Amino acid sequence: MTENLYINNTKEVYDAIVIGSGISGGWAAKEFCERGLKTLMIERGRVVEHRKDYIGENKAPWQQPLRTKVDNLLVKEQHQIQQQCYAFTDATKHFFGNDKDLPYTTEKGTNFTWIRANQLGGKSLLWHRQSYRLGEYDFNANKSDGFGNDWPIRSQDIEKWYSHVEKHAGISGSLDNLENLPDGEFLPPFEMNSPEKALQAKFAELYPQRPLIMGRTAHLTKPTKLHLSQGRVKCQARNECHAGCSFGGYFSTQSSTLPAAAATNNLHIAPNSVVHSLIYDEKTNRVKGVRVIDNDDLTEREYFAKVVFVCASTIGSTQILMNSTSKKFPNGIANSSGVLGHYLMDHNYNAGASGDIEGFEDEIDRGRRPTGLMMPNFYYKPDASRNFLRGYALAGSAYREGWQSLQHQDGLGADYKNKLKQAGKWRFGLYAQGEMLPRFENQMRFHPTLKDKWGMPQIEFDCQFSDNETNMMIDAAQQAEKMLKAVGLKNVSSQVMNGPPGLAIHELGTARMGRDPKNSILNAYNQSHDIPNLFVTDGASFCSSAVQNPSLTFMALTVRAVDYCVKEMNAKRI
Amino acid sequence: MKEHYNEEPYIEVSCIEESNMANESRRKFLRGLSFLVGGTVATALVSGNSLAVAMEHSLKPVIVGSDLLSDGKIFPLSQLKQLKDICAIVIPKTDTLGAAEVNTHGFIDNQLFHCYGKAKQTKIKQLLILINDVAKKNFSRSFTELSQDQQFKLLTELDQGKANFDKKQRADFKALKQLICFGYYTSEVGASQELRYLAVPGGYKGSIPYKGSDANWGSQGLYY
Repeated sequence: MTENLYINNTKEVYDAIVIGSGISGGWAAKEFCERGLKTLMIERGRVVEHRKDYIGENKAPWQQPLRTKVDNLLVKEQHQIQQQCYAFTDATKHFFGNDKDLPYTTEKGTNFTWIRANQLGGKSLLWHRQSYRLGEYDFNANKSDGFGNDWPIRSQDIEKWYSHVEKHAGISGSLDNLENLPDGEFLPPFEMNSPEKALQAKFAELYPQRPLIMGRTAHLTKPTKLHLSQGRVKCQARNECHAGCSFGGYFSTQSSTLPAAAATNNLHIAPNSVVHSLIYDEKTNRVKGVRVIDNDDLTEREYFAKVVFVCASTIGSTQILMNSTSKKFPNGIANSSGVLGHYLMDHNYNAGASGDIEGFEDEIDRGRRPTGLMMPNFYYKPDASRNFLRGYALAGSAYREGWQSLQHQDGLGADYKNKLKQAGKWRFGLYAQGEMLPRFENQMRFHPTLKDKWGMPQIEFDCQFSDNETNMMIDAAQQAEKMLKAVGLKNVSSQVMNGPPGLAIHELGTARMGRDPKNSILNAYNQSHDIPNLFVTDGASFCSSAVQNPSLTFMALTVRAVDYCVKEMNAKRI
Repeated sequence: MKEHYNEEPYIEVSCIEESNMANESRRKFLRGLSFLVGGTVATALVSGNSLAVAMEHSLKPVIVGSDLLSDGKIFPLSQLKQLKDICAIVIPKTDTLGAAEVNTHGFIDNQLFHCYGKAKQTKIKQLLILINDVAKKNFSRSFTELSQDQQFKLLTELDQGKANFDKKQRADFKALKQLICFGYYTSEVGASQELRYLAVPGGYKGSIPYKGSDANWGSQGLYY
């Protein structure tokens, strides 16, 4: 490992600067370092060391002062927004941003939840770890129905890069041979429990076009030598991932990409460095480096490199581009098209159905599986007979009820205690994860006057689900209810909700790729159309959201972009 | 690192779940971890890091039959005593300790203060006053002075919204029961003795035999 991994001030001109240390930034740094490039990873937040700083890990509820809950006062002062995330608990709260320092606004009549994880590792520590490739129909979706611009890539352009990241990260899953959800380089899937196996068989019989598969997840079910060499071992099925995992059971920057990058001796990390803007040289039409405000003392400094990869999260990356203005780019660097900040997307989780499973009383599962089951999008082929475009996946798992459900019944005393001691009936649900259309009017922009403590203009969101998403959720609830009844569940109920975008934490778009520089920011290699040595490889680059959890695609796009960038540098075109 | 690994590295770790001595689980967690990740890393782990610090920190003992001597953060002493009696009726001592023995009343006082708003605090306080008023009306004694049978009967009526109690009061009592259940089943006794606690399961098995007398899992990861 580099003698001094962490740096503050330096005059060195690096080969590559990577802004951000989350899933995309970690991969960019690893790939540059392994190709022999001196790389500076810039992180706005503090250092989080693998294992050492997982301060909430493996604490039983009674070892936590408020038994997993977070003090009101702390929530009120620092985490009003962040506490909306399901993963916000006493064991994880230190990995979420302080809302007081991270203000943003929303257009009147709209709402957007922006979850922040500003520390080394970013949201790779907090992600849900579901990992799916995009399929050919997904890459073709915008072109096919004319909504949004055409993805400049197809499956064949990215499949070998999916394989590359899957092998290193460790993705568990089953080979399902589906038309629009490509198989990958999988470790063995997690087991299904008995009711799930029975449901899977029943679905196969009644709905052969709607298979139920084990969720594909970035957990080491059976580590390879490569994973062991990263210092990682098998997932222990604690399902306490968001507190950090000393086993390295799931993929994170800390567990997987950072050790690989650091081992090359080519990596430096500048923590506590809030990127204010990119330094642009109009004469050469190149980005020269970045201007940084110190996270703690607010002093300014600059870092320099031959190429800059912006991997600061969808909103974070675009915020930096928008704040990098010059005579040539008065509305944000690389924004000659004017679409920067537009076509913001998330996924829609606003529908689901659940019911009781009869039988299986003489068995229970053991361990806490960190994934559920997935019914991949069965609407991937366009069909004008539906009252919405695109589709949704459904996810869920079977479990036996515990005291949280059973406590509501009448009763007191030893009988009541005994009922709550035992496992209740099996339950199963299907919950939607729907595609959100790319719409120009859904956007992030700068608030005209407000700034944050680092002097960055505050983001104002103007983003809403449309009738298309609402109609899709109504269909999802109906289909889920119908199917659960058909496969034999009892007491089935469904619901359609009205949550605003943001909370799926799958922000996508705002600096999209495209074939035409007039209506996109990036080319097919995540390279700026306008400035050859500037790349954006995170979710900002997406042309459509598809229905899949996007992180695996962040990884694949990033490594593909680095490979291209280094070849271009070697060919002296960058 | 490889020499520390074999195909079944979970044998050591899996003994954790056999132990109900949950304050040992953290020590065993580290021992299991060192077995799994190898000596070098484990040494680094134990030197001056948070896990080691946490290990040093001995757990506060469960307060058994604690003497109630002073007011709580929300409840005056008299209401804490009343709440303790209610805890004992809702989840009594059986072959494991009950809610009163593990200081669930103290937990509720603390939790209401730190994690709930005024409305909920007031609701529970008023419920305790109501229970006491009904006790006085029917038995001419305060709730804590009633026999356990009388307490049980009174709370059963409340739990079912019958006799002296209406639907809203019944709902308020269900809210109190939820606090009692949360406090009990997240306590060391509730989660690891009454129920079964797996700190480090070692892997996921989809199906193991279960009979009605078996305890459910008390370990739920981060999400209680």
